[in-house]
Amino acid sequence: MSAHPALTVDGLVKTFDLGFLGALPGFGWLAARLGVKGIAHRVHAVQGVTLSVEPGEIYGFLGPNGAGKTTTMKMLMGLIHPTAGTGTLLGRPLGDREARARLGFLPEHPYFYDHLKPQEFLEFYGQLFRLGARERRDRARALIDRVGLGYAADRPLRRFSKGMIQRIGIAQALINDPDLVVLDEPMSGLDPMGRKDVRDIIFELKQRGKTVFFSSHILQDVEMICDRVGMVVRGKVVSEGPLHALLDMPSHRIEIVLGDIDDAVVERLAADAPTPTRVGTQWRFAVESEAEVGAFVRDAIAAGARLVSVTPQRRSLEEVFVARAQEGDAR
Amino acid sequence: MIQIYAVGVNTFREAIRNRIFASLVMFAIAMLLLTLAVSSASLHEEVRLMKDLGLFLVSTFSVLIAIFIGVNLLYKEIERKTIYTIMPKPIHRAQFLLGKFAGLAWTMAVQVAVMGLVLALQFWLLDARFGVEMVQAVWLAYMEVVVMVAVALLFSSFSTPFLSGLLTFGVFAVGRFVDRLATLKLGDPSERTETHEQISAVIRGVAKVWPDLSLYNVTPNVVHGAPVTWSFVGSATLYGLSYAAVILLCACVVFQRRDFI
Ligand SMILES: Nc1ncnc2c1ncn2[C@@H]1O[C@H](COP(=O)(O)OP(=O)(O)O)[C@@H](O)[C@H]1O
Ligand SMILES: [Mg+2]
Repeated sequence: MSAHPALTVDGLVKTFDLGFLGALPGFGWLAARLGVKGIAHRVHAVQGVTLSVEPGEIYGFLGPNGAGKTTTMKMLMGLIHPTAGTGTLLGRPLGDREARARLGFLPEHPYFYDHLKPQEFLEFYGQLFRLGARERRDRARALIDRVGLGYAADRPLRRFSKGMIQRIGIAQALINDPDLVVLDEPMSGLDPMGRKDVRDIIFELKQRGKTVFFSSHILQDVEMICDRVGMVVRGKVVSEGPLHALLDMPSHRIEIVLGDIDDAVVERLAADAPTPTRVGTQWRFAVESEAEVGAFVRDAIAAGARLVSVTPQRRSLEEVFVARAQEGDAR
Repeated sequence: MIQIYAVGVNTFREAIRNRIFASLVMFAIAMLLLTLAVSSASLHEEVRLMKDLGLFLVSTFSVLIAIFIGVNLLYKEIERKTIYTIMPKPIHRAQFLLGKFAGLAWTMAVQVAVMGLVLALQFWLLDARFGVEMVQAVWLAYMEVVVMVAVALLFSSFSTPFLSGLLTFGVFAVGRFVDRLATLKLGDPSERTETHEQISAVIRGVAKVWPDLSLYNVTPNVVHGAPVTWSFVGSATLYGLSYAAVILLCACVVFQRRDFI
């Protein structure tokens, strides 16, 4: 393994100048300074994202819609110029050709040359990597099978469904057998089977020693496969680390279900665990921390209740997003 | 190099599969109607008309098609996001642009060649001679197309297809008469003022850098049987290629700086 990180993002900032005059150089800045609205305004899409991905890692780039994931990736891929900040790919500066030769990228909601058939399309992209004719052909063929499109080999891409496009998109990202694979929402638009296939492909890449950096706003996509995640909210990274560290936050709830209790006991227990809810013949309580569980359960059993279950509630990613965003506002 | 070639081939292939060459059928029909129309004229007039209108149709048809495809070429790549997977690959933006240019130039070469053949066929049907001057005229029409493709790419590297189309067409329309502006003197010689002189000078200056498309219209020579020299064809070709190269260089600079959003 190489000594340097597979990918670093160092204080990337992107500000879009919009509006009638916004596109003129300097005008967006001027309008922002003067507080003029209407003719020019700015969107702070990415406001200083910093993170780093180690070689061989699967890194989930998480965040709600509009957080700035796509914009960050576009800057890394050289599609848009950063307003400020920089980054490295495979230890080399952004835009470096040698790094790009070892890079694979799948954009969000991709679209490809729809006059081509899968084999032609992948071979065309293989040419851009200067692969030899034979290598192009063999790799294209293998990848079409790998992403499960063998049955559609004779169709032009214009007759592909959304899910099929996503699959051919993953195939094109792998045509050069890249060391670093960047995927923007690779599971979007796929059914559960498709999602599983994508997870398998990502995991297989890891097993072959590759690095995967992918974005998502859906918890299930990331929790099974990511080594680490970075969470971005409103253009800033709010936390970075193993996923469980983000989700098991200090104030997580624990749910306790009890049976065989009468209303009087419910009322008494509700003093410690407010707003119990009735589920059939049972009652569901929630306490706010692990420390409270023991005392609560002892009380309940002493009162003659039957203990049905104790379940720690992990926070959903959405809840974390909301909490983080509120923290951000408070700061 | 292989990257430019690959992009070029893909551009050509896309043009074919999107039935760009259907326009050739329209061209052939227009030629057929033309033949029917002129066949009522006297034999001598007939050939003159064929040369005049035939060459006009070849060059105008192909320039219009080239502008239409040219202004959409980059826009489509960005709008449909196909460029998102091209740019992260080890290809320079300039290589991509040159590939698009080469692909369209090649598409238009096939287009103009087929039009030339249709024209030759008409001559054959009329029992008229399709001489070397006709070949030269068709070649020069192609060079005009090459210049216009470059201009269309330059405009579309920063603006919308509609605006690029208007601007490119403007360059084309003015370019065909710009030789007359190069020697322009406004006002009557008797009452010419300083202002007249200054404006004329500005117009003459602009005319010097404007593409001189009048070079590519040798129809008067062809119709009147005056020969077109090879050195003229050569220098017009060289001028066209150099002009296209400079324009493409500017397009590359603009394209290099833009965001694909
Ligand atoms: N081309 C653009 N012009 C203006 N604003 C944009 C543009 N692209 C993205 N944005 C804005 O930047 C923010 C981040 O967008 P994006 O990077 O697409 O988020 P994500 O991928 O995390 O959903 C959003 O508020 C979005 O509206
Ligand atoms: Mg996105």
